[in-house]
Amino acid sequence: MSELQAVVAGQPAAPAEGWQFEWSDRRLGIARISNGEQAEVILVEGSGSRWVVTLRGRRIPVVVRTWRERVLAEAEIASGGTGGQAEVRATLPGMILAVAVKEGDEVHEGDPLVTVEAMKMQNEVRAPRSGRVGAVGVEPGQPVAAGALILRID
Amino acid sequence: MATSRSDRSASLRKDGGQDRATPPFRRILIANRGEIAIRVIRTCRELGIESIAVYSEADADALHVRQADRALRIGPATPAESYLSIVAIVEAARRSRAEAIHPGYGFLSESAAFAAAVAAAGIVFIGPPAETLATLGDKLAARRAAVAAGVPIVPGLLMPVGDPSLSSEALEEVGFPALLKAAAGGGGRGMRRVDHAEQVEAARALASREAEAAFGDGTLYLERLVSPARHIEVQLLGDRFGGLAVLGERECSVQRRHQKLVEESPSPAVTPELRTALAESARRIASGVAFENAATVEFLVDADGNHYFLEMNTRLQVEHGVTEAVTGLDLVAWQIRVAAGDRLPPEVLQVQNRGHAIEARVYAEDPHDGFRPAPGRVMAWQMPAGPGIRVDAGISEGSLLPTEYDPLLAKLVVHAPDRASALARLRRALEETLIGGVQTDLSFLRWLLDEPGFAAGEYDTGLIEEAWVDGPPLGSDQVGLAAFAAREARLTLAATLTTFAGNRPERPADRPWAAMARREAVERLRSR
Repeated sequence: MSELQAVVAGQPAAPAEGWQFEWSDRRLGIARISNGEQAEVILVEGSGSRWVVTLRGRRIPVVVRTWRERVLAEAEIASGGTGGQAEVRATLPGMILAVAVKEGDEVHEGDPLVTVEAMKMQNEVRAPRSGRVGAVGVEPGQPVAAGALILRID
Repeated sequence: MATSRSDRSASLRKDGGQDRATPPFRRILIANRGEIAIRVIRTCRELGIESIAVYSEADADALHVRQADRALRIGPATPAESYLSIVAIVEAARRSRAEAIHPGYGFLSESAAFAAAVAAAGIVFIGPPAETLATLGDKLAARRAAVAAGVPIVPGLLMPVGDPSLSSEALEEVGFPALLKAAAGGGGRGMRRVDHAEQVEAARALASREAEAAFGDGTLYLERLVSPARHIEVQLLGDRFGGLAVLGERECSVQRRHQKLVEESPSPAVTPELRTALAESARRIASGVAFENAATVEFLVDADGNHYFLEMNTRLQVEHGVTEAVTGLDLVAWQIRVAAGDRLPPEVLQVQNRGHAIEARVYAEDPHDGFRPAPGRVMAWQMPAGPGIRVDAGISEGSLLPTEYDPLLAKLVVHAPDRASALARLRRALEETLIGGVQTDLSFLRWLLDEPGFAAGEYDTGLIEEAWVDGPPLGSDQVGLAAFAAREARLTLAATLTTFAGNRPERPADRPWAAMARREAVERLRSR
């Protein structure tokens, strides 16, 4: 397994050297790292290739992949993404309060699309780029899960 | 109304004084959830009062439900149908034969209609009388009351935005940038910054909807933005005989979205002269209304040390623990006692504050992404302990954070002889705190302690927007450590699987979260 590659924020990351790692509570993901001079209690949560390391309170997603997983991931990227479409998704679970656009509308980057209420805050979801609104998948009053597709911009 | 408030409490009162032979009430219903419900339950227990919790469907497994002596389900997850439902809560109090209701903070705590309904049901509302709530709960009426009491207010409107008699000249006169605020509001909700008079109309729509959703009233007013400003508040405790204790100030300038994250007492910015002036203004406002119980008078203090009345909150504040630390008083106990008709004794009226206290609020929010709420299931949950540290939390390991409510996870309050040692204590407390499963503001709080302005006590409400923004980018040392830790985690896991996979079937006890998810799935299927 020595060919494991770590990726942080989309970039291959060189693991720190000279540190020791030991689990304090594997079930809860509590671990201790030390290098002889400093020691830190951190959280390491995840499985397989997807991990989140909480360091001094900050959650850092890390992909740890084998050679095989790396080849597969790169092949997927090479086969092309969404083909010029932008998907607008809910970042939080919440409720759709208002929908400002309909299918076929021309929108400019930054235009308000929908208003979502989550955790007592009203947030306007804005167009990530300019284009024409494709199918709108939500209506006012509808609850949405995190990651739910709100609409597409073609 | 069957019995008036004072008749009733007179019959409950043993001697009208502080040496009680019997508890002030036999049974109190707590019309709230989370950490504040637990906070009130604890004092009830110490006073020998039975505590009744209420809960919505989303909170059936919540900690406050488990800790109360009894718990009643009052409705679905939506606050309007449960924690904000006057009918449901008064009915629960009737059913459980509660003698008094503690409203906590938020929800119905400042609702005059609620206080009136509670009194009409012959139950004591632990808070000021309904009329006082009506005056002070309407922030516009409160501004007018402050003017009448001779207390300086933030320049701005004394009538709602959109009022037909409001001229465009009067709107211009407010001065910009300005803040649109909910008249029924508080806690920073329904508040929008507007930079020009022409923007007022556009900002009004969203702010009004947010205010309507949060408080059931979309009325807005406009106030000039005082900047730079410090947000400093004064804690009051009053009895119905005119006894009024001024319990010092709290510095609350560390804010995001006009909501507080860190509070301390005393304020490093308050001179003895300013402290006297703030206390005097707070007294005047309280004397101008029929005030009793606990309240906080909030002020803005500008760069020249002038103070302006912002609002008076007629309830317990989230950050009351800071004042409890420096005064040694149990504010909830005194709320309950004055509601039962007790007088505040000299040791409360003349309390001497001691040392320095700081509260850090731990929220399930991503400080690296505009403090966006980050709900989820809390996994690891390790809270600090030891000398001078108090933790008020409403959740525990494995708690699912309902998206319907505030993402407050815990409040850490540290107390030490002086500010420097309080900061050192807070640093230790934050290092001991571990929360898994959700992003929290712990990374921000740890950064804050090293921020030169905060460390020196020289900061204002612009601190987060100016100095933090979304926080420093990930450093290469952090990236290296994270990469190292994740790789080691995967390696050790792979090694375990190879060693044990054949002879050690996984027991559900090893995977409590999976077991919990299964249980929930089964319950969902059952409830169909």
